[in-house]
Amino acid sequence: MATAALTIDGLAVSFDGFKAVNGVSMIVEEGELRVLLGANGAGKTTLMDLISGKTRSTEGHVHLYNADITNFEEHRIARAGVGRKFQIPSVFKDLTVRGNLEVASCRNPGVLANLGFGFSSAARERVREVLELIGLSEQADTTAANLSHGQTQWLELGMLVVQNAKLLLLDEPTAGMTQAETHKTAEIINGLKGRHTLLVVEHDMAFVREIAERITVMHLGQVLAEGSVAEIETNPKVREAYLGSRGIS
Amino acid sequence: MTRRRVDIAVYAAFILAIMLAPLFLEPFWLNRIAKYLVFGMLGIAVAMSWGYAGILNLGQGLFFGLGAYMLAMSLKLASPTSLQQGSDKPVPDFMLWNAEPGAKTDLCCINKASFLWIPFEHQWFGLLMGIVLPVAVATVLGLIMFRKRISGVFVSIITLALVLLVRLLVIDAQPLTNGFNGLTDLGWFKIGDFEFDPYIVPTYYLVAGTLAVILVAARLLVDTRAGLILQAIRDDQNRARYLGFDVPAYQTFFFAVSAGIASLAGMLYVIVAEFASPTFMDLSFSITMVVWAAVGGRASVLGACIGAIVINTLSAKVSETETFVEAWKVVIGLIFVLVVLYLPYGIAGLAHDLIDRITRRNRAHGATVRVDGADSVQAAAE
Repeated sequence: MATAALTIDGLAVSFDGFKAVNGVSMIVEEGELRVLLGANGAGKTTLMDLISGKTRSTEGHVHLYNADITNFEEHRIARAGVGRKFQIPSVFKDLTVRGNLEVASCRNPGVLANLGFGFSSAARERVREVLELIGLSEQADTTAANLSHGQTQWLELGMLVVQNAKLLLLDEPTAGMTQAETHKTAEIINGLKGRHTLLVVEHDMAFVREIAERITVMHLGQVLAEGSVAEIETNPKVREAYLGSRGIS
Repeated sequence: MTRRRVDIAVYAAFILAIMLAPLFLEPFWLNRIAKYLVFGMLGIAVAMSWGYAGILNLGQGLFFGLGAYMLAMSLKLASPTSLQQGSDKPVPDFMLWNAEPGAKTDLCCINKASFLWIPFEHQWFGLLMGIVLPVAVATVLGLIMFRKRISGVFVSIITLALVLLVRLLVIDAQPLTNGFNGLTDLGWFKIGDFEFDPYIVPTYYLVAGTLAVILVAARLLVDTRAGLILQAIRDDQNRARYLGFDVPAYQTFFFAVSAGIASLAGMLYVIVAEFASPTFMDLSFSITMVVWAAVGGRASVLGACIGAIVINTLSAKVSETETFVEAWKVVIGLIFVLVVLYLPYGIAGLAHDLIDRITRRNRAHGATVRVDGADSVQAAAE
């Protein structure tokens, strides 16, 4: 049996009595790519906030492999191996593309440990590989502020890869992208399967079909259904709650 | 690589210039320039916290002032006047003026808090406290602010309020600090038997040498991996946090280093200016430092340093012409507005752009040559 990379057990949070996430349990296996679907307000982003420590849960547990990371501080969860890409792309705008990746490549997070100069040849090699992967080798010395929207998204994705996160949380990685850019993003993400475990929130169904293996559908803070693309497309509960009677279009 | 070589050349030229200055200056101007070099150190401190860490500290004068007062207390006790107060141990003259009738003329009990001065009889204690106290204050303040994720304008407001508060306390503690008048009539700083008279060349070199060391050290520090991470934090705290960095630790560290540089500047200022005063903690002084850094270039430690020195030297020159004394402030204000509007990275930013343009042109030229070469190879193959 495959190892469980991410185990969520009865996770819940309530904001002044409103349960944005209400008893979610799921297991994502190592190397798997899981897509989270759901209408606005279903609790997808909140679930990511709970895993990455942005929001503190009121019930339940999150395990990364065997480590309980429930309600750790954000930077400690990140160090444990969770990488997060935000819906609004956030990169270090005044640094070069290479600088962004180099920052992400720092293995030791402490101030004093980083009072040295330069990066190990292994780190530089890794940065070079990732520049290739995200297709920004040409722009390596460009200031990140000058990248296009799509390139910024790829750079942020690249930072998580350099960081060597075991689990990548991607919140709408294709938001605002052109069709060509979306396609390239799908290629990058498919290239990460197997080496990283991924949890992706996405609305674009064409994109979901390109990348998805298993889908978890959320509705009103709970898990409504889980299965392969075909199973979800034909699931009557999902049709009713989220997709409408017309099915996935 | 070319860019790096240009940087080294510019730093070397600056250090050479301040080292050669005594050859061309008479003692009066030498002393003045020494003061401006001290302000240059403040420029470095501001560049580090504002330019690199994104923390606009509007109370940098607090650390400058604390450093200045600590060393000034020692130098006050070393002053000849402190030994002429009718006691065999030094007692500051102003304590006698403020003493209650019948109080014993001794630091132990001339007033309720005067015992705090006792360890300052050793100059090195004053020097040590001049660094330790400001850095400790900055560390505690930084930990509280940054752990609470206070940022941007709120940090500016807190630091601004704090410097005014401490200024008020210093003025209010008249028996201990001589209030508004500050500590004047100080003795000279000594190393062994050598006395640093503020108007002699070795004193200038004490300041210039310290500035050179601090300048290079600050530049090296921001060039480390930690410096890069710090700039990343400045650009997007959250992103850095989710990459696993303990953001408050970085911010506090560099905030404290900046405070340390400012306090060192405060002590050097006391050595060359021979007084410490609550005006060091005036709001206008802290804001002036920010203007120096903005004009010189907040993203460059050397730029901010030169900005401080140039503005002060110009001010001194211009204010000697009577018609300009008041107009000068308007001119400075105007320069500041123009720089903020058109040169967000100050004069250093402009210089960097020019250097980049020149090196890029050279590189483009090199590329053309290579392409020509490739063409001729192809031609030969055909």
